[in-house]
Amino acid sequence: MATIPIGADRTIAAVRAVRRSYRVLRDLPMVPMLILGVLASVAVLAPVIAPHSKLDPVKPTREQCQAKFGTPDCPYVDNAPPFWSPGGTLDTPLGTDFLGRDVLSRLLYGARISLIVALTGTLFAGAIGTVLGVLAGYMGRWWDEIIMRITDAWLTLPSLVFAILLSSVRGPGLWNVVLILALVFWSRYSRAVRGEVLTLRERDFVKLAEINGIGKLTIIWRHLIPNVMNTVMVLFSLQVGVAVIIEASLSFLGVGVPPPEPSWGLMMAQERESLMEGRWWLEIFPGICITLLVLSANMLGDWLRVRLDPQLRNR
Amino acid sequence: MVKRAFAILPLLTLMYGVASGQSAPSSSKPILSGPLAKLDIKDAQIAAGRGTPKGTLNVGLHFGIDPGWFDPLGYYGPAHHFYYLVHDALIKPMPQGEFTYSLAERAEMSADFRRAAFRLRPGLKFQDGHPLTAADVKWTYENYRGLSFKYLQDKIESIQLVDDRTIVFHFKGPFVDFLDLYSGSGSGIGWIVPRHYYEQVGKDSFKARPMGAGPFKFVSQEAGVQASFEAWDQYWRRAPGVKTINVRGIRDLAARMAGLETGELDIAYGMTGKLLQRVMADPKLRWDPNFTAPWHLVFPGYNEPSSPFHDQRVRQAVSLAINRSFLVKQETQGIGKPWGNWISHENRDALRGDGTELPVPPYDPTKAKQLLAEAGYPNGFDFDWYVPFAPYYDMAERILNDLRAVGMRSKMQMLDAPAYMAQTSKGRKGFPGNRTIVQRIDPRPGGAKELIRLYAVCGGPASYICEPKIESLWARHEASIDVAERERLSKEIQRAIVEGYNLVPIYLNPFVHAVTQKVLPEGEAVHRYWDTVNAPFPWPWEVWEVKR
Amino acid sequence: MKRYVLVRALYSVVTLWLLVTIIFGLVRLTGDPVAMKAEAGADPAYVAQLRQSWGLDRPLYWQYLGFVGRLLRADFGHSFEKSLPVRDIYFERLPNSLKLGFAAFLISLALGVPFGMLSALKVNSVWDNAGKAVALLGLSMPGFFVGLVLIIVFGIELGWLPVLGKGSSAFVWSAPSTWAMFWFRDWGHLAMPAFALGWYFSGAMLRITRSGMLDVLGSDYIKLVRLKGVPEPMVVAKHALKNSLIPVLTFAGLNLLIMVNVAVVIEVIFNWPGVGQLLYDALSNRDFPMVQGVVLMSGLMIVLLNFTIDVLYGYVDPRIRLSR
Repeated sequence: MATIPIGADRTIAAVRAVRRSYRVLRDLPMVPMLILGVLASVAVLAPVIAPHSKLDPVKPTREQCQAKFGTPDCPYVDNAPPFWSPGGTLDTPLGTDFLGRDVLSRLLYGARISLIVALTGTLFAGAIGTVLGVLAGYMGRWWDEIIMRITDAWLTLPSLVFAILLSSVRGPGLWNVVLILALVFWSRYSRAVRGEVLTLRERDFVKLAEINGIGKLTIIWRHLIPNVMNTVMVLFSLQVGVAVIIEASLSFLGVGVPPPEPSWGLMMAQERESLMEGRWWLEIFPGICITLLVLSANMLGDWLRVRLDPQLRNR
Repeated sequence: MVKRAFAILPLLTLMYGVASGQSAPSSSKPILSGPLAKLDIKDAQIAAGRGTPKGTLNVGLHFGIDPGWFDPLGYYGPAHHFYYLVHDALIKPMPQGEFTYSLAERAEMSADFRRAAFRLRPGLKFQDGHPLTAADVKWTYENYRGLSFKYLQDKIESIQLVDDRTIVFHFKGPFVDFLDLYSGSGSGIGWIVPRHYYEQVGKDSFKARPMGAGPFKFVSQEAGVQASFEAWDQYWRRAPGVKTINVRGIRDLAARMAGLETGELDIAYGMTGKLLQRVMADPKLRWDPNFTAPWHLVFPGYNEPSSPFHDQRVRQAVSLAINRSFLVKQETQGIGKPWGNWISHENRDALRGDGTELPVPPYDPTKAKQLLAEAGYPNGFDFDWYVPFAPYYDMAERILNDLRAVGMRSKMQMLDAPAYMAQTSKGRKGFPGNRTIVQRIDPRPGGAKELIRLYAVCGGPASYICEPKIESLWARHEASIDVAERERLSKEIQRAIVEGYNLVPIYLNPFVHAVTQKVLPEGEAVHRYWDTVNAPFPWPWEVWEVKR
Repeated sequence: MKRYVLVRALYSVVTLWLLVTIIFGLVRLTGDPVAMKAEAGADPAYVAQLRQSWGLDRPLYWQYLGFVGRLLRADFGHSFEKSLPVRDIYFERLPNSLKLGFAAFLISLALGVPFGMLSALKVNSVWDNAGKAVALLGLSMPGFFVGLVLIIVFGIELGWLPVLGKGSSAFVWSAPSTWAMFWFRDWGHLAMPAFALGWYFSGAMLRITRSGMLDVLGSDYIKLVRLKGVPEPMVVAKHALKNSLIPVLTFAGLNLLIMVNVAVVIEVIFNWPGVGQLLYDALSNRDFPMVQGVVLMSGLMIVLLNFTIDVLYGYVDPRIRLSR
């Protein structure tokens, strides 16, 4: 066997490390993660990068007013098309809506609302569902029966209908929508988590902890919850997409996040008639944003499920 | 030559008379003894010939259908749309006038308004052939359980059946507004229900398969979705022009628009907002502005000193801040009319708000800011809520924008229809606090006095306004039985309200209806269908005609 | 076995009773239905009479007992808004929802299963991702948007399909002659709403098919078949597909039921007179009996289906009925 000089050792090691990370990276779902990353950063940076206000109409120039209304003075120029169409300007690159507000700015701020609603709603649902699922799986017969019967009953209620019902009780509003999402979707988690816990509690390390006299709550906190996180994370990423669509549907039915705050779902719901009128940009741009968000979340969730499921991992 | 021309003239006159239809001469034999009140009731127009009903009319309602609306005994809400189809009344609003003879050929009220008498036309029948007599009229009155039933029944001392066709109502006291409520628009009590059929099938089955004396017979329904009606060619007035009418409840505006464009609908209501432009631009559609009533803003609790709207200057600033002409252009494509009153001009005792009787409110944001500064708000102020009228949220956003521009900032409190109605029908009591602005509109019939009674007096069931000056005027109004004086007082009250900025009128709302080319007559003459006074829908239905 | 069935039946009853109680309480929190019929200035006598006829003037426990009592007699009460018995209105609408649900189900299978198979066979390839993207696109766009685009393109611009409602075919329970015709007529009205709804659920079908196939393809059974030298297409078609369809069909019933009960947005847009729109109208109008009735019926269907599946599984797989 030929000897390899020491310097080359390091190079080979480095090359191997790069190759390994390349393999790891290649396995990652790059496109969804990239999209989600962009959306998240847009949401965070919205006040900085948005060219105009999200609520106030854009101040028009005299030429714009003249072109649209025939007079040099007007409060705002409404329904301006994107900059590549006649009548559009680079100042409002994606056009303006019925109140003369810049669509791009509203989309950027809308990312905040849509993401906040979807993420926190799903987070709360996941938290409630996980806790209840663990309790049901671990704490004994009565806990299990009661929680599972309630979960079953909850699951028979169709989600959108339930959401509308709850919104009739609470009224529209951002935090109300979050609350509604949490209350509607927790039952999806508790079922799956309970199943996981039932298997987990038979595992050696749990039995060992029990024998050693460690309290139930500590076991739950230290052993059970971390180990169900895989399942929860998969569910979470799949549910985020559902939450976004539910929020949009609630806005369509008039009981979602109320105007004038921009949320993508609300923008889509409000501008349906504009699509019929030919002012496609008001409906299509928020539609693209929602579709990208939900599609990416779903693909990420699918990838996670494959990765975290030991049976499917070596495919 | 000349002789021949003279011969043709009477022939032409005869033909013209036949073609234009004759007015039925009202029978001149009085029913009541003693001096009579002067009533303005127009004669019915009965067609001379009976044509053949042809074609189908598809109507797109902007809300779901409630089978309860087929039963006049339980009247509430937009039921008149269906009453004009299946039922008939003694007197009802028609294109000829607010009171027009229908089932009745003569109506009288004694000069002291303590008695009212009606004589029915001869030979009236219900749609199943059973005769319609005064006994049915009496039975309907006594069994009515809809809106205002207690009020109407408590006023009665006795109902006298003089003969099969004549009926006299004796009241406990002077009942000046009786005809307003009885005329088929203010309540459901004037629509005559067939006693024999109702008692035979019961309340539920009557709603499932209604029957009446109107121009169209009920055919079938899917509860809440659609209902079909067929022309009854034995109707006393004329054979309807259309053979079948299908009414469908379609809530979604875009769906109604789509229906018009594909031809699945021939008329659709409520084509407002963003689609109005498309309706106006489509050469295959015609539309009617169908003005209903003026939008206005009210300030619940403005009377309290802690409210920012306590100072009249602030309320005036609200009025000055709204750019009505731009609003009307954006929201209604310029059809709406900036208006200076809150009561629809179609009410005979309402002041016109187009500048002839009350001025059109001006737009002056500079003055608005100045007034706010004078009232102690140099930097404007925040108020709690702006409550819009569902689903006109776009309009609410525009107004909020205008208010924000002069410094009055707030958020929109979106209430869905039941919540909105529940709160606003309680008046000031429906809203906590006193820092709210509510956008309202009320196209109900009954004249200005009805709206004042409801909203503008301290004791009104939905009172938003409580001012001593208005109270004393209203007391005099209620005490008087002189119709002219009542009208004068009502107008004074309206003026006081508008000049005191107790509420802020915005613009007269067009609730646009659109029809397709299938509807006859062609061209602009189609607007005659909207001639009935104070009617939110284009009734009567028997005059509609469509192409085959 | 009998004990197992009894236990599961008991669970179903408890679940249903919980549902009844939850919906009873929840719906009464939504507001006052009297306000919908009594406009401003309605006289108190009318309002009081209305409240009394709806039973809302009684104390809550009385209403609850009355409600449950009537339920046991299969009486859902009278709709506040539509003034007719809830049961009659519901069963008038149910065939429409079933028709839409079946059609959407078939479409979701047609879109989801082939793409799912493709995804599983060419895992992590371009085909996998493309197939997933197409099916998942259906649940990435709000239903009202998809519906609107379909209406604009096929209804208005091309004029190929009608846009409103379900046409004139009626399923009349009392007229058996209508039963068969109902399913085959007016498919033109059905096409767009069924497609919009079916596309949404095709994502779920794809996932189930894909994971089912992946499971089967990795199993010993398939390895053995391959070892025997069976050509690959046969492996897929004859053996893998058959076994992977089992989970699809298991979820099929549940998905169908969900489609029947959940299509609110699609029904509103296309004005399809199904139970979804019925429920939405009822919620808008605070129509307590109708909301309760529709929710309970849909819950009943799902609970019954779950019970049937549980019993079938218990029959087929002894391990299940012997475990907790």
